[in-house]
Amino acid sequence: MTQSAIQVNDLHKAFGDNNAVQGVSFEVQQGEIFSLLGPNGAGKTTTISMLATLLRPDQGDAFVMGHSIRKEATAVRAVLGVVPQEIALYEDLSARENLLFWGKMYGLRGGVLKTRVDEALEIIGLTERASGQLSKFSGGMKRRVNIAAALLHRPAVIFMDEPTVGIDPQSRRNILDSVVALKEQGMTVLYTTHYMEEAQELSDHIAIMDHGKLISLGTHAELVKIVGEADRIRLAIHNPRESLDQIWGMVPGVKQVSSKDGVFTILALNGHQVLPRLFEAAGDQAAQITSVEIQQPDLEAVFLHLTGRALRD
Amino acid sequence: MKILAIALKDIRHALRSTIGLVFMFGLPLMVTGMFYLMFGQAARSGSFELARIRVVVANEDLEAPRLQTGSGALPEGIKADTLSELVVAVLQSKDLADLLEVSLAPDATAARQVVDSQQAQVAVIIPSGFSKQFADINSQATVEFYQDPTLTIGPGIVRAILNRFMDSISGVKIAVDQVLDQTDADQVALVGQVIDAYLATSRTQTSNAADEFLEIHAPSGEVEETNPVLAIVAPIMGGMMVFYAFYTGVSTAESILEEDEQRTLPRLFTTPTSRQAILTGKFLAVFLTVSVQVVTLLVASHLIFGIDWGAPQAVAMLAGGIILVASSTGIFVNSLLKDTRQGGIIFGGVLTITGMLGMIRIFGSASSAAARMGDSVGLLVPQGWAVRGLVESLNRQPPAQVLPELLALLAWSCVFFTLGIWRFRKRYG
Repeated sequence: MTQSAIQVNDLHKAFGDNNAVQGVSFEVQQGEIFSLLGPNGAGKTTTISMLATLLRPDQGDAFVMGHSIRKEATAVRAVLGVVPQEIALYEDLSARENLLFWGKMYGLRGGVLKTRVDEALEIIGLTERASGQLSKFSGGMKRRVNIAAALLHRPAVIFMDEPTVGIDPQSRRNILDSVVALKEQGMTVLYTTHYMEEAQELSDHIAIMDHGKLISLGTHAELVKIVGEADRIRLAIHNPRESLDQIWGMVPGVKQVSSKDGVFTILALNGHQVLPRLFEAAGDQAAQITSVEIQQPDLEAVFLHLTGRALRD
Repeated sequence: MKILAIALKDIRHALRSTIGLVFMFGLPLMVTGMFYLMFGQAARSGSFELARIRVVVANEDLEAPRLQTGSGALPEGIKADTLSELVVAVLQSKDLADLLEVSLAPDATAARQVVDSQQAQVAVIIPSGFSKQFADINSQATVEFYQDPTLTIGPGIVRAILNRFMDSISGVKIAVDQVLDQTDADQVALVGQVIDAYLATSRTQTSNAADEFLEIHAPSGEVEETNPVLAIVAPIMGGMMVFYAFYTGVSTAESILEEDEQRTLPRLFTTPTSRQAILTGKFLAVFLTVSVQVVTLLVASHLIFGIDWGAPQAVAMLAGGIILVASSTGIFVNSLLKDTRQGGIIFGGVLTITGMLGMIRIFGSASSAAARMGDSVGLLVPQGWAVRGLVESLNRQPPAQVLPELLALLAWSCVFFTLGIWRFRKRYG
């Protein structure tokens, strides 16, 4: 049986009265991308900080490539590459000087270090700007160097804490592609984000966190099943008729109709095919539709379903 | 190896900062340079001469009675037949030649005109009948003193010289009166011997008049002999070096807080580098940066200003002590800070105050009272010990002589380093 890359058992961490992480447990297999999804303050960064041995858990333990974060911190750090949420680099050094320094901190020396730095610069597309002072780089370029610094020693496991915050779409795309490329190289990636689209696109498994607790875990398909496979159609009516509930309920494909304050919520299979029939029925009843919204089952819906709040609230 | 990599990275950071370089090297040399330029001409000539005070003398006491004493009683090289001539001769004497430039005017009006036209700073007018009045027990002899009202120091010196001289002559007068009262008529000849004896004593008291009236203190007697300007500039350079070495120690050690705020320190903690090695690397950077600064300033000041810091062994001991104490202070001070925003208060307040206290000795050395106060107060802060040691080294004291200062610096270093390490380990350990 293959050893899991990360095994987290009942982690707890409190800062004063704030219980930042409460009994989080999960397992990440080698070579997969595992996302921790949740709003700001959900406890993602605290969890990843404990796994990176920056914070000591109040309770529980975790194992990274079989090494306990409590008892074998140095061994954990040796197999780990951490990409922090902030750009943690030296602005007055060049990109190459930064990478050389961080490579040394991971124990690389001499020709190996130089080769790895050259490779990293090539991968992130900054070979031409290698001697440029980091302070003169764009946010996206700094993000790329920030990631490269964690990859020089070719770690088995990479922690990426919200690596796409505050950057342009092009750099974001570049980073997402590089995460997939890391997986293809056999690395295990623990990725935290509050962007549902990123988690959905990248992840083999997703753990949804809120208020320090892990509230759901599974593949994207498994999570979506929590809210069912039906599309959610929301229709706002200017002059609602009570009979609309019954009429729309009889439209083929519609599974459920509910209304409140002139807003009808309809669960239907293949919402786009059902929608013209709903308009037709409303027209027969002289009901005036003022707005339409179709929501396909996604992680946003899952989070809403589980917490009663939108992910971006 | 990792420790060295961290230290070199921090040193590179310090040396790439323009502001940092200005504070490390520019300001200490610039401040010293300003003082050097103020006395630059004298430094180039290798001598330090105060401008002579221009004095014009008008002697209107032409019918004065002759002095009844032997020429041997008069100060060496002075010839005078009357008391008023004696006054003029004293002002023109060789002893005062370095201090006074004396010219003669035919009368009081002419003398005053010379002062009014600023050709002289002071006029000494000996009125007619001056000697007679002096000889008369019941009358008072006066010398008119006419000076440029905008000047104080030069005329003050001349007034002091004359007062001292006239006090001596008054002593003679009192001696004569006493002898005449208590001596029979056939023993009057003894009076001349009494006067001779008194004037002989008086001569020894006033032979070094210039030195007595213009007291110039230099911190280093040896340096004063070779170049008095360096006697002023060298301690200032030492003080500046100490002041800014402490600044560098504190500002370089501040990089620990900066890295924490910029999140590079937590990132370092996620690498397989022990926290002890990371902190040691940071501390090593402080020591090396201050070392570069102190050594550079010692060499640069020697090359630029020609400062001879003293015996090489003593200089090396003190430089080591200064490096250690400035670095340790930097580590300790930063261990007390929550973040770099508090650093401004420390830089502006604590360092300035303790630095100035430490340098009191240098700037207060013009008077012995200030020097004594500076010695005492300055030793309350490590900068004071460093300055004291440097001044002694400038005085060409042997290494053993600066050992107490070195030991004091090491003691300060041990205390600050231990406390600083303890606090940082508690914080990041």
